[in-house]
Amino acid sequence: MTGLDPLIHAPTRLQLVTTLSGVSEAEFATLRTALEVSDSVLSKHVSALVDAGYLHSRKGVHAGRRTTWVGLTPVGRRALHEHVAAVRRLIDAVE
Amino acid sequence: MESSRDPEDPLTALNVADDARRRLTAGLRLPTGFYPMLATGIAVQVGAAAYGIAAQTVTGVAVALAGVAVFLGVAALLLHRFSRINGVRVDGLASQVVLAAGAGASVVYLGALAVGIVAAFDSRWWLVAVAAVAAGVGCALGARHWWHAYRHDPAAHERGASPRVLGVLAVVACLGCAALLVLG
Repeated sequence: MTGLDPLIHAPTRLQLVTTLSGVSEAEFATLRTALEVSDSVLSKHVSALVDAGYLHSRKGVHAGRRTTWVGLTPVGRRALHEHVAAVRRLIDAVE
Repeated sequence: MESSRDPEDPLTALNVADDARRRLTAGLRLPTGFYPMLATGIAVQVGAAAYGIAAQTVTGVAVALAGVAVFLGVAALLLHRFSRINGVRVDGLASQVVLAAGAGASVVYLGALAVGIVAAFDSRWWLVAVAAVAAGVGCALGARHWWHAYRHDPAAHERGASPRVLGVLAVVACLGCAALLVLG
């Protein structure tokens, strides 16, 4: 049985990967607004999850200015599903 | 019952994460005139294809190719505007627009194309026009149905063909038409 994933257990990271599960890619500022976090906080979490292979990022253009686009990788998507399932099992066990 | 919203509580963490996703996807908007433009692009492509196939001439193939070009131009414009307005890319939407990926939309498209081709061979141009409009409206309705399903459950409907795959398919479609031109 797979357990909790420490890489996405932190609330902000869980919000980040859950939000990205609803789109193919999101532009950095759009993501920052949806998560209600600062540039530096989002940048730090994105870098960590890109290094872990959970997210991919690429430089691109949005509304005429250079920006970063971020998306969930298949590994990240699977990790999110397994983590959510593990959390729900935990909740069920407690209840 | 009201949750305590303790961020360390696992259930609260899941709910807050779902709220963040909902905040993003609930704010997504389709570009103005999305459905009429999509329907028009598909109608032009189907009408041109029916004429081109029935004509069986170089001019006919050129018309069919022009129809494909118009449709791809409209699709690219709509997807670019969606991405520009919302700051996100949704491959599921791209598949709906470019591939008419829903089962109903695919059946309507292929059926209307077949009717249009047969009608063009019989020179019943009014029926070609009706078939083209039916294909456009059917695909637009299919896209509308998908959009509502996506808004209800984004994670389940987000996926689709990537822009790279769609680009390859567009090139293959154009090469196929070009082959018809050469062989014809």
